[in-house]
Amino acid sequence: MARSLIIIILSFITLSSFAQKKHTISGIIKDEATGETLIGASVRIKEISSAGTSTNNYGFYSLSVPDGEYTLLCTYIGYETITRQVLLHHDQSLNISLSSKSDLNEVVISGNKPNNDQIASPLMGVEKLNMSQINQVPVVLGEKDILKTITLMPGVKSGGEGNTGFYVRGGAADQNLILLDEATVYNASHLFGFFSTFNSDAIKDVSIYKGGMPAEYGGRLSSVLDVKMLDGNNKDYTVQGGLGLISSRIKVEGPIEKDKGSFMVSARRTYIDVFLNASKDSTIKGSSLYFYDINAKANYHFDNNNAIYLSGYFGKDVLGLKNTFGTNWGNATGTIRYNHIFNSKLFSNTSLIFSNYNYVIQSFLSDNNFKATSKINDINFKEDLQYSMGSSHSLKFGVNILHHTIAPGDITSNSASSFNNISVQQRYGYETAAYVSDDWKANSHLTILYGLRLSGFFLFGPGTFSTYDAAGNIASSSTYGSARVVKSYLNLEPRLSSSYQLNDANSIKFSYNRNTQNIHLLTNSTTSSPTDLYVMSSNNIKPEIADQVSTGWFRNFNNNIFEFSAEVYYKWLQNQINYKDGAQLIANQDVESQLTYGSGRAYGLELFLKKKYGQFNGWVGYTLSKTEDKFSAINNGNYFPATQDRTHDLSVVGIYQLNKRWSFSGTFIYQTGSAVTYPTGKYNVGGLTTFSYSERNGYREPSNNRLDIGATLEGKQHKKYHSSWTFSIYNLYGHRDPYSITFRDSKTVPNTTEAVETSIFATPIPSVTWNFKF
Amino acid sequence: MKIFKSYVTYLLFLMVLSSCTKVIDLNLGNNTGELVIEGNLTNVAGPQAVKLSKNVSFSTSNTYPPVTGATVTVSDQAGNKYAFTEGPSGTYTVNGLAGMVGNTYTMAVSANAKTYTASSVMPAQVTLDSLTSKNDEFNTSKHKKVITVYYRDPVGVANQYRFVMYVNNVQAKDVYVFNDQFNDGRYVSIDLREDDSSNGNDTGIFAGDTVTVEMQCIDEPIYTYWYTLMQQENNGPGGGVTPSNPPTNITPVTLGYFSAHTTQRKTIVVKN
Repeated sequence: MARSLIIIILSFITLSSFAQKKHTISGIIKDEATGETLIGASVRIKEISSAGTSTNNYGFYSLSVPDGEYTLLCTYIGYETITRQVLLHHDQSLNISLSSKSDLNEVVISGNKPNNDQIASPLMGVEKLNMSQINQVPVVLGEKDILKTITLMPGVKSGGEGNTGFYVRGGAADQNLILLDEATVYNASHLFGFFSTFNSDAIKDVSIYKGGMPAEYGGRLSSVLDVKMLDGNNKDYTVQGGLGLISSRIKVEGPIEKDKGSFMVSARRTYIDVFLNASKDSTIKGSSLYFYDINAKANYHFDNNNAIYLSGYFGKDVLGLKNTFGTNWGNATGTIRYNHIFNSKLFSNTSLIFSNYNYVIQSFLSDNNFKATSKINDINFKEDLQYSMGSSHSLKFGVNILHHTIAPGDITSNSASSFNNISVQQRYGYETAAYVSDDWKANSHLTILYGLRLSGFFLFGPGTFSTYDAAGNIASSSTYGSARVVKSYLNLEPRLSSSYQLNDANSIKFSYNRNTQNIHLLTNSTTSSPTDLYVMSSNNIKPEIADQVSTGWFRNFNNNIFEFSAEVYYKWLQNQINYKDGAQLIANQDVESQLTYGSGRAYGLELFLKKKYGQFNGWVGYTLSKTEDKFSAINNGNYFPATQDRTHDLSVVGIYQLNKRWSFSGTFIYQTGSAVTYPTGKYNVGGLTTFSYSERNGYREPSNNRLDIGATLEGKQHKKYHSSWTFSIYNLYGHRDPYSITFRDSKTVPNTTEAVETSIFATPIPSVTWNFKF
Repeated sequence: MKIFKSYVTYLLFLMVLSSCTKVIDLNLGNNTGELVIEGNLTNVAGPQAVKLSKNVSFSTSNTYPPVTGATVTVSDQAGNKYAFTEGPSGTYTVNGLAGMVGNTYTMAVSANAKTYTASSVMPAQVTLDSLTSKNDEFNTSKHKKVITVYYRDPVGVANQYRFVMYVNNVQAKDVYVFNDQFNDGRYVSIDLREDDSSNGNDTGIFAGDTVTVEMQCIDEPIYTYWYTLMQQENNGPGGGVTPSNPPTNITPVTLGYFSAHTTQRKTIVVKN
């Protein structure tokens, strides 16, 4: 399939070959000090304003221009701009190293020229996060955090304290595709959302696509969070780490062979359980409560045209009560990638990806002994190609075959236990896709990124597959053998995003994309938890479909020092999944009988003002939005606000570099409370005060607001080592964010009822971390 | 799997040592005056009762206006029909009726110019073996106790159970409902504890308390009714489900249920 696709595309390219002789310049852009490839660095020809590109995920760029003599400009945020004179009389390869400004040991206020990439690029709804900014945004308990920083962007909302998910443009938490070096991460947080699984020491680059997803991404409705790990320093060995109040981390990196290959290993562990040992309560004293994770990566460049990358992640959360109960869960991913540059125009990456998510729940009580397990295993093959066609077309095309194995639940127990051994049938499915997209510079004003993704889903036996009647009883059952297709779905997903540049500082953009999703998270609680269950599309569950249109105005001010954007979007969601009342989801063979299907819609306005450069930088993001669901079985079939609906969402982030040693940061957020269902009456049944309800999610929790501050003190400069202190205070003014509101019989006034608000982190929480590097 | 939920809830509270609760005022809607039917038919001869009332707003006291002047009957599949007589405060009773295992009973209530019907099957009784008490493994410094119920679940049939616990003659304000999805045919022990957490309802069980447990064997729709209410109780960390009126077996839909169930009781004094 890959081969025929290549042939089709190459013949298309040949047909449209050009009269004028063109040459191609290509190469890899790297960090001078560490040899890390730079993703998204901008490369342009000074003499031809339309000739520009940016490096791909492996730092590769390719530009084709007519025969001539040119000035090549290479820029990357936080790095010195490099200019090179090039004589282009034949195709040539040019690798460039940029030096980071932080290595220059001075506060650079206007070292390089800010560019207007955001104006020219056809992409919209995309945020690329700068790791140095992430490192300065204060977060709870001092652990810098990619996911927490992502939720400060307009259109991205946090699920709230103690919730593992985040929501993009009204999408549910499971509608985000979270990739770590191309591998799917099913549970992106540790300890119920207090920390993300991404150790920012090990991360090179983070991008989030909220809309207008390029065709190379698929499989989820709402967003793509693409996280890439550092390759490792291929010049020198370095060790860096941090000691914090509740967690510590360490990273080691260095060359395998200087300038050719490198490795990086980064690990972290929390030790909150140490505090539990101080408790008087004997059960708490023996409890475990921690997580750890390890990121590792190695790469080797055989020559200029061939490179191999190996990367892996392993993380686990462990919770347990002494001799009573234990649970653990975690992700493991592994990626093998092979980069091959066929010629200056054609770049190829072949990936083999493994991903696993599992959880275990164990009870050690003699008469209630059991062990429940659940897991997902993915094996994924991807072939991605990139072809530069002249200065105006850049093609991407590829194929993807992903095999899922889902073991929804197994329970084992000993003979004295109250529990039986139960095994729910495993499910097997293939997600396949082929895509092509073209980044076309139509003229000096108009750039169009258009593409098509064909996605197929195939549910395979062996197993027994049932259909259900309205009451949830089995209507029919059939048994399939191991090579039999139970159900298949094919979907065509058009993708388009375009930019019309009015002038150097203004552009108008438009995008449309269709996304489909064949793996679904079932949760019957208002917050997601690690034990939530994944199911695939099936004879009962249809693929979820989302169509999104968005348009926006992008404006730069003050020589591109300020970036402003205003985007509006509208999203239609089909085949959304909800559960019936009283649904039993755990270890249930007939879990699909517990589901009900509906649709949704989400729309909003996002305003974003960003200052990327200077001693003082940061951003202000504001979102006005509405997200609604419609299920015939819920709320009398009327639209109701989704749990993740937030009318207003404001975030302000400021970072101030006082001098070489001190920098300060602050984050303020304001959010409309989540949509909740509150009682509209009460009655008594079974001797219990029981509440009656009218409309679904008809009420709002009180709004959230919070101010966090942080400061970093860089240690004095030493030849051999470097150290710094990070201080932060979470929730500076101790605002009570409601975590949950419950209703009960009053404890003080007999024969009445009361509402009780629970909040967590309602007091300022200080933290301090010592970081080192040598 | 309620056990799991409560463990996780407990651990989360541990983790967030700074969690705190307070009573707040909320401006809640007022959708009241709906008919509430609570019909119970047990296997023990004695007055069987159907209670009719109306729901009230959240902010008023827990006094529910009775519905009077209604006609209430219960019939079995053999066509025997029992008329209930109206007593005080919306309670309609019949004497000398004991439900038979395996019979389908249909309740008909005519009130507000409408007739409501519901059917329920009386399941076979499973013997409540014994009750014991032990120390609660949570919050050991409080020296709380847990009551354990024991019974042998019959193999090969679906069984559903509801327990009602009384501590010193005061009903625990929790729903305890279980099925045999995970323990069909096993000798089952289930821990019942009072929720005395900061947003819970009760005070806990301690040595010296007299505890009575009623075990009901209920049919599947009634299990779903109570299970839905039980899921909604857990609104703390770890997540509760979005609350709604539980699915009733009464048509047309109104608040409440009609349950034909077996009943048996045991009492113990909690030892130290």
